[in-house]
Amino acid sequence: MTRFARTFAAVLGIGTLLVAGASMGGLAAAPDQPKKTTICLLPKKKGLPYFTTCAKGAQEAAKELGVELIYDGPTDGSPEKAASMVDRWALQKVDVIAVSPNDPQVLGTAMKKARDKGIKVITWDADAAADSRLFLVNQATAKDIGYALIDAMAKDIGGGGGEEPAGEVAIITATLTAANQNEWIKHMKERLEKYPKLKLVATKPSNEDQRLAFQVAQDLMKAHPDLKGIFGISSVAFPGAAEAVKQAGKTGKVLVTGLATPNDMKAYVHEGTVKSVVLWNTVDLGYLTVRAAHALANGTLKAGDTTLEAGRLGTKKIEGDQILLGQVLVFTKDNIDQFDF
Amino acid sequence: MMAPRKRSLVQEGVLGILLIATLAIAAWLDGPDGAFISPATQLELSTHIFDLAILALPMTLIIITGGIDLSVGSTMALSAVTLGMLYEAGTPIWIAGFVAIIVGTLAGAINGIFVARVGVHPLIVTLASMALYRGLAEGISLARPISGFPDGLQRLGGGTFAGVPISGMIFAAAAIGCMLLTARTVAGRWIYGIGDNERAASYAGIPIARTKLWLYSLSGTAAGVAALIAVGRRNTAKADIGSGIELEVITAVVLGGTSIFGGRGGILGTILGVALIHEVREFVSWHWQDDKLILIVIGVILIGSVLLNNLASRSRV
Repeated sequence: MTRFARTFAAVLGIGTLLVAGASMGGLAAAPDQPKKTTICLLPKKKGLPYFTTCAKGAQEAAKELGVELIYDGPTDGSPEKAASMVDRWALQKVDVIAVSPNDPQVLGTAMKKARDKGIKVITWDADAAADSRLFLVNQATAKDIGYALIDAMAKDIGGGGGEEPAGEVAIITATLTAANQNEWIKHMKERLEKYPKLKLVATKPSNEDQRLAFQVAQDLMKAHPDLKGIFGISSVAFPGAAEAVKQAGKTGKVLVTGLATPNDMKAYVHEGTVKSVVLWNTVDLGYLTVRAAHALANGTLKAGDTTLEAGRLGTKKIEGDQILLGQVLVFTKDNIDQFDF
Repeated sequence: MMAPRKRSLVQEGVLGILLIATLAIAAWLDGPDGAFISPATQLELSTHIFDLAILALPMTLIIITGGIDLSVGSTMALSAVTLGMLYEAGTPIWIAGFVAIIVGTLAGAINGIFVARVGVHPLIVTLASMALYRGLAEGISLARPISGFPDGLQRLGGGTFAGVPISGMIFAAAAIGCMLLTARTVAGRWIYGIGDNERAASYAGIPIARTKLWLYSLSGTAAGVAALIAVGRRNTAKADIGSGIELEVITAVVLGGTSIFGGRGGILGTILGVALIHEVREFVSWHWQDDKLILIVIGVILIGSVLLNNLASRSRV
C-alpha cells in the first residue's frame, strides 16, 4: 500500500509538472516566433507602483511599434537576481536591454558582458558606468530634480508668503549607494545655499523598504524635536515618511515632500501632511525608453545624435549620451487629481 | 547507530526524475535551436549557482547533526567586505582572498564555540550572528561598494578553464570531499550519530563538541570561498552580498531529503536539490520572465517533496 502511495505521489507530481509545462507552452512559444524586435525592460524592483506605471508607457510604445516587450525584474530588488536576468537575456540574444540599475556596479558588470555578446544596452531611470551602456534615458537632470525638491520644501515651509523659510530638515534616501539619489542630494545641498535658514540635519537610508522609511522618519522626529521638514527621495521613502508624520499627529508641523507617484500620495496631499509632490511623468519615461530602444535596434539612433523622434512625445533632446525626457512636475492639492498614475 | 549507506534513495530518485522532467520540458519548449538546453547556455548559467551550492555542502552536514547555520549569507558579506577593503588598500589579491577565507572560518568557529561549548541552540546562535556579521560588514565598509578587481578573481567567479566554470570545479572538489567524509570516514559516522540521537552518541564516546565546532567552522570557510566567487562574478564587493541566501541554501538541502530534525540525509540529495532549484529557476525565467512564478514553482516542488519524504519514511518504520 505504501509503495503504491509512493509511486502514486511520484507519478502525480511529475504529471502535474508536465501538464503545467504543456499548458504554459503556448506562452513560451512567443519568443520563438520569426524575428520580431525584442526589447527587455528591467526595473529596479518589480511590483513598485512607480515602475508599474513606467511599464504601462513602455507597453503603449511597444504596441505602437509592434515590438516584443519583456518587462521583468526582481520582486525583492536583489541586484544579483537582476544581473542574472541580464545574463539570461544576453544569452537569448534579444535586441536591446534597458536597465534601471539598482546597483550600478553589479548591473554594470553584467551589462558589459551583454555588450561583449553584441547586445545593445541602455540604462533608464538610473545610470551605471558610461562604458556599460550606449545611452541613458534620463527623466530629468539631477540638477532639475534636486533644485525642484528644495524649492518645493522652501515654499511649503515659508507658507508661500514673503517670509524666509527656516528650520531643520532631513533627507530619507533609498540606499546610501544609490547613484541617482546621491546626485540629487548633491544638487539639493547646492540649492540649500539659497535658503540659509534651512538646515539639513540628517541623511538616512531606507533601503527601498517602506516600513524602514516609516521607522527612520519616527526616529528622526524623536532625535530632532524641532524638525520642520522631511524629504523622502524615493517612491518608497516618501509615503513611508508621510505615514509616520501623520501617525505622530504632526500633520502640518512637519512637512513632507519628495518623489513618488501622484496616486500614492493623493490622500496625504488632501489631508495636508504633504503639500508638494515632485516627479516626472513616469508613463512617458517608460514610453520614451522603448522608443529609444527601438530606434537603437533599427539603427535610426546612433551615438552622437542630438535629437530623437519619440512618437507622441514629439522630438526629444539628446545631450551627449543622455536622452532627456525633460520637465519636472510638481503636484499640489490643486492639480494632483488630474493625474492618474 | 544507523549506517548512512543503508538509507534508501527514494528522495534522490524522485529528485532525479524531476530534474530530468524539467530538462525534458525545457528541451521541448526550446524548439529546434535548443538555446536553453544547449551546453554553452547551461555552462554559462551554471555560474549563477556555485556559491549557493558550495554553501549547501557544510549546511547539509550541520543539518544532519540536528543543527542549522543561518549566518552563512552574512558571513559571506563579512568575507566579501574583507576581501574588498584589503584589496583596495593595496594587498595582493591572493592574500586578500586568503584572509577573507580565514575571516569566514573564524566567523564560523565563533558560531561553533557557542553551539558546541556553550550549548546555546544553533538557531539562536546563528540568528544572532546573522545580524551581527551583516552589521559588521555594513559598518566596516560603510555599505560602500568596491569594484575593479583583477581578472583572476573575475575568472574565479564567472570564468572557465577548458570550457568548465572554475567555480564549478571548486564545487565539484568540495562535493567529492564531503561525500567521502560522510560515506567513508569515522567522522562521517559521528555526524549521523549525533543527529540520530545525541545522548546515545555521547554515551558511545563520540566527540560531539569537537565535531560540531569543526562543522560550523567549515561552514564559515565555505562562506569565505562563496564570497570570493560571488565578488568575482559581479566584480563588486558589497555588504549586501548573499542576503537571503541562507534560506535558499536550506531550501535546497531540505529538498534534497536531509531531515531538518537530523540523522538523515546526504550530500547526493543536496546536489540534486541544488541542481533542481537552479534548473527550475533558470528555466522559468528563461521562458516566462516572471520572478514571482519561480517562487511559486519552487514552493510547490518543496511541499510535494516533503510530502513524498513523509510517505517514504512512514513506510520504513
